[in-house]
Amino acid sequence: MSEDREERRPRPRGGRRPRRKVCSFCVDKIAYIDYKDVNRLRRFINERGKILPCRMTGNCAKHQRQLGEAIKRARAIALLPYTAE
Amino acid sequence: MNRYELTYIIDATLEETARKELIAKFSSLIAANGGEVEKVDETWGKRRLAYPIDHKTEGYYVLVTYTAPVEVPAEVERNMRINDSVLRYLTVKLVEKHSKVKPRPVRQAPAPVAVEEAPVVEAAPAVEEAPVVETPAVEEAPAAPAEE
Repeated sequence: MSEDREERRPRPRGGRRPRRKVCSFCVDKIAYIDYKDVNRLRRFINERGKILPCRMTGNCAKHQRQLGEAIKRARAIALLPYTAE
Repeated sequence: MNRYELTYIIDATLEETARKELIAKFSSLIAANGGEVEKVDETWGKRRLAYPIDHKTEGYYVLVTYTAPVEVPAEVERNMRINDSVLRYLTVKLVEKHSKVKPRPVRQAPAPVAVEEAPVVEAAPAVEEAPVVETPAVEEAPAAPAEE
């Protein structure tokens, strides 16, 4: 079945196929994303302090929801910025 | 009884004795309301805030884990709001993350349907047809054409 689909979708010429990103929380088998884990959370915000969308990070939906919650908690107690210039 | 995790930030300019007093005060407040303080963690201690709160760039972080009835967090937070030295607080209910994988119901084998063909009793016709006694009809020889 998958073979059929490969044939139908033309591969971008000359470029390598974009690799499907995997959720880093699933890889590390993290059941609960802790708001105190600032170094980990920092990877998922941009320099303005915004939460990165999962299409950029490759997070699965379940962990993306948990991550949003954790980042917002971390912001509330001034571990992460709400905004940064 | 629930497990809670409380993080709060004390004004870093507060002297050490006053700070210790404050931490002890909140711990005893939890205990006085029927809670039990598991751990008071001050490993973070003085830390730079991600953004200034009341024009302060530093704060003293305290982490408390405790088990208490449901009314206690509200009471603790009420006291923290009153106290000017507490810059921020956050109470989080700790939920033991248990595996969501439920034991699957054992698929019951469908009741054994009588698939096997009931041995069709090929009742041999008991009554054999009575052998028809062929009574050879006495055939009369065809009369030979009378020869002329």
